[in-house]
Amino acid sequence: MAAAIHSNSAAEASKGPQQPLTLYTTQTPNGIKISIALEELEIPYKVFKHDFVARTQKEPWYLAINPNGRIPAITDTFSDGSQIHLWESGSILKYLVEQYDKDFKLWYPAGTRENYELFSWLFFQIGGLGPMQGQMTHFNRHVTEKIPYAIERYSNETRRLYSVLEKQLATSQSGFILSKFTIVDICFWSMVAASGWAGVSLAEFPEIHRWYEKVLSRPSVAKGMNVPEPHPIQVLMDDKTGQKAKEFEEYSRSWVMTGMAKDAEGLKKRDPAC
Amino acid sequence: MPLKAIDLWGHWGAPNPWKVCIVLEELGIPYNIQSVEFSEVKQEAFLMINPNGRLPAIKDPNTGITLWESGAIIQYLVDQYDRDERVSYNSFPEKYFTQQWLAFQISGQGPYFGQATWFARFHPEKIPSAIDRYVNEVIRVIGVLDKAIETNNTGWLVGDKCTYADLSFVTWTSVAEGLLRELNKLDGLETRYPRYTEWLTKMEERESVKKIRERMARGRAEHGLPP
Repeated sequence: MAAAIHSNSAAEASKGPQQPLTLYTTQTPNGIKISIALEELEIPYKVFKHDFVARTQKEPWYLAINPNGRIPAITDTFSDGSQIHLWESGSILKYLVEQYDKDFKLWYPAGTRENYELFSWLFFQIGGLGPMQGQMTHFNRHVTEKIPYAIERYSNETRRLYSVLEKQLATSQSGFILSKFTIVDICFWSMVAASGWAGVSLAEFPEIHRWYEKVLSRPSVAKGMNVPEPHPIQVLMDDKTGQKAKEFEEYSRSWVMTGMAKDAEGLKKRDPAC
Repeated sequence: MPLKAIDLWGHWGAPNPWKVCIVLEELGIPYNIQSVEFSEVKQEAFLMINPNGRLPAIKDPNTGITLWESGAIIQYLVDQYDRDERVSYNSFPEKYFTQQWLAFQISGQGPYFGQATWFARFHPEKIPSAIDRYVNEVIRVIGVLDKAIETNNTGWLVGDKCTYADLSFVTWTSVAEGLLRELNKLDGLETRYPRYTEWLTKMEERESVKKIRERMARGRAEHGLPP
């Protein structure tokens, strides 16, 4: 699969404006942010599914698109016909609304107070809640030898960050994080959808739980969350035997821990973006 | 009409508020620093400014806006005050590339460099696997920057000039330098990541960066904190 895209990418680069947007992704919180936004804005797109076990996200063709070797990334054709590769979920979302959301369905007009405030929340998700919940998941799920201090550190910080969101939702008149549904809801929702997996209980955050269900009822969210494959969280949470959770944990651990070891190996050899 | 000074809630030693100061300096915007201790940021008075109880935050009397999160503040500042594109671009695709690198700084550099510092320097119990995880990530991020500078081939991350995207990395790279030196991992970095090293050197020659790095180093030294 990787090889197919590899051989196509150079040719596709010169084809011009008919090419639909390509989303490079996997079934993770950062990936579904983009597919949900694309569904909301009804932008046609193709999906390239990375294989983290095979480490296709570290192959040279993809590092040319995203030098950080992570997902998501997009390739799009700009209005002048030239191509753009973009990565980092926050910057992709900003690009999508600026380019495609002329009716302000998911944001506010550029230069307004509301729009600047929107980006306070967006950066808070990508720089705060996202990384910290990621660390919590790592120490709860991927590291086999439990490190109590690290688990406590990231559980406390993640729960503190959830309480900031909880308070914001409690004071919101719209039922969303801001005065209407925006890309900020998409950003946080994608993380909250994985909260149970990280080890956060929504029973502790009733406002977040209510908002979570409300956002889930949007058809575009129900669709976008299942790209490039069905979202695992409901299956995992419904599985009373714990067998599926165990399998998923082993799968995640395998690529994360192997990836970390390979990254460390690459650093010794000075392999960029290893 | 001359600009009124922007109020910036900052901290003597924290990289994120100083990062915003570099952009303010570059754009020649007057500002007052309201120095806040970490013990004060969770108090109701400050939570009214930033519901997350973190630094920095700004209040701009020229527009009446209050904003928090360094990335959102920097985007606001260039949007409002950099019409001449001194440290930003309005052209496609450079505008989006600068935003992308800023997002990477916010989500990829800051949090992980912060965790590395915590585990290697401050946490009383040394947990080698946690130190390795985050220090390796610091070095990996340095490698990504080095490669990107090589690919862009101008000495900068975006276009052919120094932008807010480049400048946003500087305060945390200063901390990383001190940390890697302490861990004996600084040796050889220059030869392994030559473009990264050149890029930093060029930025450190800028008046804005020189001034703010000095202030941050002084603040940290006065409080007994390593660079």
